[in-house]
Amino acid sequence: MKLLNVYRSAPSDDTKKLVEIVSEGREVESFDLNVENPDYSALLDKVFAVDQTICWW
Amino acid sequence: MAKSLGIFVTSPQHMRHVMGITKAAKAKGSKVKVFFSWFGVHLTKCKEFPELCELADDVSICVDSYKNAGYDPADIPKGLEAKKMATQSQHGEIIEDYECYLTL
Amino acid sequence: MSKKVGFLLVNKEYTLDGIRSTLGLAVENMYSYAYVMNNELADLSDYHKENIEWVRDMEGEVYSTVDANVENHGMVKITLEEIGKQLRDLEIIIPYGILRSDKS
Repeated sequence: MKLLNVYRSAPSDDTKKLVEIVSEGREVESFDLNVENPDYSALLDKVFAVDQTICWW
Repeated sequence: MAKSLGIFVTSPQHMRHVMGITKAAKAKGSKVKVFFSWFGVHLTKCKEFPELCELADDVSICVDSYKNAGYDPADIPKGLEAKKMATQSQHGEIIEDYECYLTL
Repeated sequence: MSKKVGFLLVNKEYTLDGIRSTLGLAVENMYSYAYVMNNELADLSDYHKENIEWVRDMEGEVYSTVDANVENHGMVKITLEEIGKQLRDLEIIIPYGILRSDKS
């Protein structure tokens, strides 16, 4: 199970806790959208390579 | 071949990501469907929205959300087909028919 | 096989519509769950009460971390840790809307 956590803003403590639980024991990647110029192509390469993507707030 | 991509939009804050991801996905040869619901429908008033409708393979919005957000359902957003003023079943289509799912 | 989806509802301006979207996927034959986190809902209209009941009738559920939502609206009590564990079993996870707004 490969999981990608995408962040649209800085994660809250609750978000961090959920990410920790959901990610445990899985192959995990992350991507931060909350930057000036996100590399959308690189994001999609990751999205296409994993089993599940979660776009956190 | 690139996988197909469905995007469910409920935030009014991320038009740049909707556009950026859709452009990048089309450049990779993906089929892309975007569905706007709740306050996400405010993005239909962005200047980029007509371009998104041309770029993506399928763009639709929740007409109930559009009405609740204060817009007249007869005022169809520029670029959108009238039949794409639709229901939550569009979200179901994204999940069932597209290989990858994003929410923005 | 029916997919399992979960809506994470953290912002009171988005929660009731998130429950409507939860119902929208339940009627598309998915197992659809709503998790109302850290926001207390005021009195609900009959329409919104019915939405919660329909989600339940269609083998979904509306959970909440907030005691007042459990007591006043019949939502099922859940902790943050329990939500995390349930999310591990879902195919689609939807952090709905925005995390916080100026008005909340």
